[in-house]
Amino acid sequence: MQVSLTRINKRFGSVQVLKDVDLVFPSRKFVTLLGPSGCGKTTLLRMIAGLEDITAGSIRFGEREVNKLAPRDRNIAMVFQSYALYPQMSVRRNLGYGLRVRGTPKADIEEAVGRVARILEIDHLLDRKPAQLSGGQRQRVALGRAMVRKPDIFLMDEPLSNLDAKLRVTMRGELRRFHLDLDATTIYVTHDQLEAMTMSDLIAVMHQGVVQQFGTPAEVYSQPANVFVAGFIGSPPMNFLPGTIDAGRFTFADAKLPLPALPGGVKPAHAAILGVRPQDLIFEGTPAADTLTGTISLVELLGSEKLVEVNLSGQKRMSVQIHADMVVNMGDRVHVKFDPQRVHVFDTESGRSLRAG
Amino acid sequence: MTDMRVEFWPAVKKVLLYVLLCSVTFVVCFPLIWALSTSLKPKSEIFAIPPTLIPKAMTLENYEALLTGRQQYYQSGGTAQPSGPTPAQFFTRWFMNSVIVTIGSTIISIVVSTLAAYSLTRFRYWGRTAIPYFSLVGYMVPSIIFVFPLFLMMVRLDLTDSLWSLIFGYVCITLPFCMWLMWAFMRSIPIEIEEAALIDGASRYQVFVNIVLPTALPGIIAASIFSMIVSWNDYLFGRVFINSLDNLTLTVGVMLFFEGTHVDWGLLMAASVLMTLPMAILFMALQRHLVAGFGAGAVKG
Ligand SMILES: Nc1ncnc2c1ncn2[C@@H]1O[C@H](COP(=O)(O)OP(=O)(O)OP(=O)(O)O)[C@@H](O)[C@H]1O
Ligand SMILES: [Mg+2]
Repeated sequence: MQVSLTRINKRFGSVQVLKDVDLVFPSRKFVTLLGPSGCGKTTLLRMIAGLEDITAGSIRFGEREVNKLAPRDRNIAMVFQSYALYPQMSVRRNLGYGLRVRGTPKADIEEAVGRVARILEIDHLLDRKPAQLSGGQRQRVALGRAMVRKPDIFLMDEPLSNLDAKLRVTMRGELRRFHLDLDATTIYVTHDQLEAMTMSDLIAVMHQGVVQQFGTPAEVYSQPANVFVAGFIGSPPMNFLPGTIDAGRFTFADAKLPLPALPGGVKPAHAAILGVRPQDLIFEGTPAADTLTGTISLVELLGSEKLVEVNLSGQKRMSVQIHADMVVNMGDRVHVKFDPQRVHVFDTESGRSLRAG
Repeated sequence: MTDMRVEFWPAVKKVLLYVLLCSVTFVVCFPLIWALSTSLKPKSEIFAIPPTLIPKAMTLENYEALLTGRQQYYQSGGTAQPSGPTPAQFFTRWFMNSVIVTIGSTIISIVVSTLAAYSLTRFRYWGRTAIPYFSLVGYMVPSIIFVFPLFLMMVRLDLTDSLWSLIFGYVCITLPFCMWLMWAFMRSIPIEIEEAALIDGASRYQVFVNIVLPTALPGIIAASIFSMIVSWNDYLFGRVFINSLDNLTLTVGVMLFFEGTHVDWGLLMAASVLMTLPMAILFMALQRHLVAGFGAGAVKG
């Protein structure tokens, strides 16, 4: 089922939480709403679920507008961040409740609950109460409760945030598999960019109630639409240098750095921000016109990589990711270089990418 | 050697602890035990010296008199028919009256306070945060202050000397606290579980009945026990609102055993024991929930 949001606005009293959100979630895709805390992800999800009024705009499932439809008439399922299991009911009754209130025959409920419990490997827990389960088990029950009804749209609000790091990685894969089995449109909320990158078909990056960019994980990573997206996606985060563009070169302190083609064109002495990922930087043996010189102030071992922090002139820092075998020491003077095709250039005033044109 | 010492001292400590606990329990319970003992004694033994704790000649005649309404009067060794109706004749009637007003007022208090608390915690309107605190203040006003205004209202409503006047009177004193308790309880129920049920396909009514009520049950039990104790033990309202013998409640009725020249202690004590019994049973059956209920309310309240 395709979900379309048209100019969605949400206000709580005088606070504008969502501004003109336009998104189309294609049928059967796994789409992630990604953004920092407080950007309005949960609010948007709750509006799709029908739990929150729409201040302005329209939500359509397929061709049908659902603005006024009660949650139970939308054939959706939702996994809450807090799981929201029914505390007084056993796992079995938690899973079956949605079918029971819809008047499904007992035998069919029994069957559906059994099937879901087997898929999620919680069949040995069916007679326990939620309080007697671990966090990971509760999360499975919450997923199971959502899966049991075969919803058209599957909504998940940070379902992995209460789990430990290892379980989170396992569950990422499982959620992705469930999505493929379910045949439903999945809308997934997270503030974890890694989760978004690994699981999604499409990512909507949000900030302060505005959708910043909507695209595939590869697009938001390699062609960020603005400074916010560039800084939010990718780990370790992108380096930013403020400067000006003159005659196709980026001027920062004394350095004149090469730039890729900028299709939109620029004013003379255009104020801009250069963005380059730590992975795209290398150390050069000798200084040159297209290198930046600085001193190593910190070395962190990440495992197979090292993250090196370089102090440049003018209080600016850059992080450079190198292979762990490379020997570097604190205090070393180094020359940093990059491939012009792999940098991002943003307009200082608007924050928009100048590469996109 | 060392092994023995390790086992010896803890054992002694345990014994001492139990002796202490038993003596405290005995002191606290002594009036009740004495009442029970007296109620089981024949007339001749009640004032026997030295007093006996365990009756030598145990008898159930006092209970029989209360429960059947037949009573023999022993006066200065002989038997005489009493001139008017005796309190014992009314005992079962008063007992039923107490049961009716207690259950009636409790049902009203619980239904109203549960619905009010749900509304106060789930819907937005003016005063939703002030009302619970305000109602708690209402509960702190001693009932003696509003018993006469209430009495005048009952006169206007033509309800005096009826059980309804007591039911409404008890609702007035129990409802504010029940509402506050239920409010504190309902606040601790996360709204997400209701939303999850709405998405699962439940109606508002089904959400309330299937999800909210079972979750709020400990709170409901705590509030009910509170309301029942207050209504069952009330003396003031019963004394002021009721004037016919037929409509008295136990607390006021039992005081009539003191009237006249002769106090039948055995009968009085049997009445006291029977009066204590329902609340004692209720308490023992529900105390587990009571602690959970007050605890849960307290954390959030
Ligand atoms: N019921 C409400 N009344 C007033 N403001 C609200 C309400 N619910 C949310 N907000 C505000 O709306 C903004 C967005 O909240 P929302 O819960 O959607 O954020 P979020 O992106 O899900 O953040 P998080 O990652 O922390 O869950 C926040 O600034 C929040 O304070
Ligand atoms: Mg949220």
